[in-house]
Amino acid sequence: MIEFKDVSKTYPNGTKGLQHVNLKIEQGEFLAIIGLSGAGKSTLIRTINRMIDITDGQLLVDGTDVMSLKGKELRKFRRKIGMIFQSFNLVNRSTVIKNVLTSDVPDMPWYKTMFGIYSQEQKIHALEALDKVNILEKAYSRCDELSGGQQQRVALARTLNQNPSIILADEPVASLDPIIADVVMSDFARINKDLNISILINIHHVDLALKYATRVIGIRNGEIVYDGPTSEVTQEVLNLVYMGKAVPKSTDRIEIEGMVINNG
Amino acid sequence: MTTTVKENILEKLNSEPKNLWKRLLVTAIVVMLVIWGSTSLNYNGVTEKGATIAGSIIRGIVQPELATLFDFGPNGVPKLVLETMAIAVLGTIIGAILAIPISFLSATNIVPKPIAMVFRAFIMLIRTIPSLVWALVWVRVTGPGPFCGVVTQSVCSIGMISKMYVTAIENLDTGVLESLDALGCNTFEKIRCGVIPQLMASFISTAIYRFDINLKDATTLGIVGAGGIGFPLQEALGSGKWHRVGSFLLVLILVVLVFEWISNHIRNRLARGRS
Amino acid sequence: MANKLERKTPLFDRIIKPEHIVLENGHSVDRPKSRLPLILLIGVIVVYVSMDATNFNIQRFLSRINQLPVILGQIFTPNFSYIGNVIPSLIETMKMSIVGTVVGCVLGLPLAILASSNINKNKPTLLFCRFLLSIMRSIPTLIYATIFALVFNLGAFAGAAAISLFTLSIVAKMLYEAIETIDMGPYEAMTSFGATSLQAFWAACLPQILPQYFDNCLYCFEMNVRASSILGYVGAGGLGMLIRERTGFRQYHDLGMILLTLFVVVWVIDQINDWIRSKLS
Repeated sequence: MIEFKDVSKTYPNGTKGLQHVNLKIEQGEFLAIIGLSGAGKSTLIRTINRMIDITDGQLLVDGTDVMSLKGKELRKFRRKIGMIFQSFNLVNRSTVIKNVLTSDVPDMPWYKTMFGIYSQEQKIHALEALDKVNILEKAYSRCDELSGGQQQRVALARTLNQNPSIILADEPVASLDPIIADVVMSDFARINKDLNISILINIHHVDLALKYATRVIGIRNGEIVYDGPTSEVTQEVLNLVYMGKAVPKSTDRIEIEGMVINNG
Repeated sequence: MTTTVKENILEKLNSEPKNLWKRLLVTAIVVMLVIWGSTSLNYNGVTEKGATIAGSIIRGIVQPELATLFDFGPNGVPKLVLETMAIAVLGTIIGAILAIPISFLSATNIVPKPIAMVFRAFIMLIRTIPSLVWALVWVRVTGPGPFCGVVTQSVCSIGMISKMYVTAIENLDTGVLESLDALGCNTFEKIRCGVIPQLMASFISTAIYRFDINLKDATTLGIVGAGGIGFPLQEALGSGKWHRVGSFLLVLILVVLVFEWISNHIRNRLARGRS
Repeated sequence: MANKLERKTPLFDRIIKPEHIVLENGHSVDRPKSRLPLILLIGVIVVYVSMDATNFNIQRFLSRINQLPVILGQIFTPNFSYIGNVIPSLIETMKMSIVGTVVGCVLGLPLAILASSNINKNKPTLLFCRFLLSIMRSIPTLIYATIFALVFNLGAFAGAAAISLFTLSIVAKMLYEAIETIDMGPYEAMTSFGATSLQAFWAACLPQILPQYFDNCLYCFEMNVRASSILGYVGAGGLGMLIRERTGFRQYHDLGMILLTLFVVVWVIDQINDWIRSKLS
């Protein structure tokens, strides 16, 4: 369970990333976080594994106060939390399986890391993770030979390989085309159901968010303006989150006439 | 999670390309080479005075001999530094000018391949003979002194500068020449307006880069009597004036670093324009 | 930020005002005066001072240039029977270069990591490492060799030590420049799931720079074979000792043989390195 208690984040330059966020997320939820760019979506997600420090309030993950963690404890804590990035963040020159295996590195003795020696069990586990995202056949290909969608699935497999209880995904489908984006989202949904992993996704594609997530958080200027089940997201809610600007669906045709943008 | 491993995963696991042996072999070769290399490098230990020498030199760098640094006489540091720099300046300029015809004659897009090959062999020949050996040869012609350093560096610079010039010439954008042709320019006009502007910046940049190298090189040519700070430094080392050695080294480090900084600055400007 | 973007007028344009051109349609443009005359003037002065400082004397050069064909003629007719003396020294030179290159390349790696601003966030150690590398780079190998020959006794060990030190400084510089251009995404990903920065560097950044690192090592090896051949001149073992001895006795036929051997060896190493490079990529 993740619990935000009146959490705020102010960046050193004065920008307010989060303002008085109160949130409770149960194990196994599939949460989509929507909002404009710069609204604080990334900040919200990255505070959970403390890639970003909060400046106020309290953040509990499975009962641990995240801000109290230091050094080794923090790293041990992060082992349970997987993270997916917009730019995949894979080592392009390495093979797929080597990338998946890097998630075992933090638990390995230094000499094994140094020479890149992985045990048979680790390799099997990594291959199983690749199988779960249907990309087993590419295991020994180099990452730069893969398409964007395939690379994101490798990143997902890398995360699964660490057996996380939470997966944080920061714009995982933003650099993918709509069809591949849908496939990757369905992978997330399947993993969420089959393995009971909590998933938090930052997403710009509202239609994909509504299609797969069980709960939606709307965030605006660092404040949560909507928190509720997907079924209750209406056009008014979207107007509120996106400050009244019309939200084009990713699959809609956008016609530009002069300066007016119509979306059906 | 199931305890039995699925068939397809095992199959994939066994299909892993095995390059472990290759790596072990390469590592073994390198290790063997190093062991073989170390066999005759018998470490005789630090000489009795060795530690004192090292200590004194470092002390000399930290606390230089001011008398040496500000001695404006013929054996003082300012004169020697000026001489070293002068060798590098002239050597680079002469070398850079001599390299122009040679590099055009070894560019395959200017002259037929056989001619280019002959000149490339010439460049390679110049490059292979170490500058110190060149100095040993030239010293027989010019006699000892800084003039020998200038001649040596002029010749040695041709090698590397030509090699870089050739690359620049072979990367010439011929589209410009075509458009000048279309305007009705003659060969001279084409060279003046199409070739020189394209090559100028990279030629100057190469020459400045070479100046850095020559400056460093000029500090050692003195060892064979080709002028510069090298000979007094060697002499100070030979006669055990460690403090003096330290002072020389300090100046040498400063001069090289300052010119490296300046040349990086100018080359960045040449590459990116003034911004 | 905004003020920074507005550049100051260069000093030159403030002293010598740009020409103000007004077109017929009223538009105007400032044409900065050409810097060429100033640069030429400085150039002429520098060249004049340099010629004075080096006793530049083209007459003496021309009157004695006839010496050159004599010497070169001897060098280009090598004394092949001298090969027996060259081989042992050549082997010593090779040993020095191999050991020096390997030791320098291995030690260069940690120093490069410490000198990369995207990995090492500790400013003082970063600056210290870069400073150290700059200083080490600015001292020529031959001077290292001279000093080491006094500190460690004459011989190949001093040469190997000099080469290691110089290789270390060059490899580390090339490497940290490479490290600073890599994609830090994988590094971020690894820290996100609990790796230490060293683990993250090793598993996420090293694979990205490894090909370049090997390439740099090969390049250094090539360079070191050439450089180490003259280190013996100051007593650090290898071919240089022969070069010194033979030129001392004016035995240029023998010198020619030494240079021919060196030429062949450097060429062979170039070919081997090109082959290794093609395998690596």
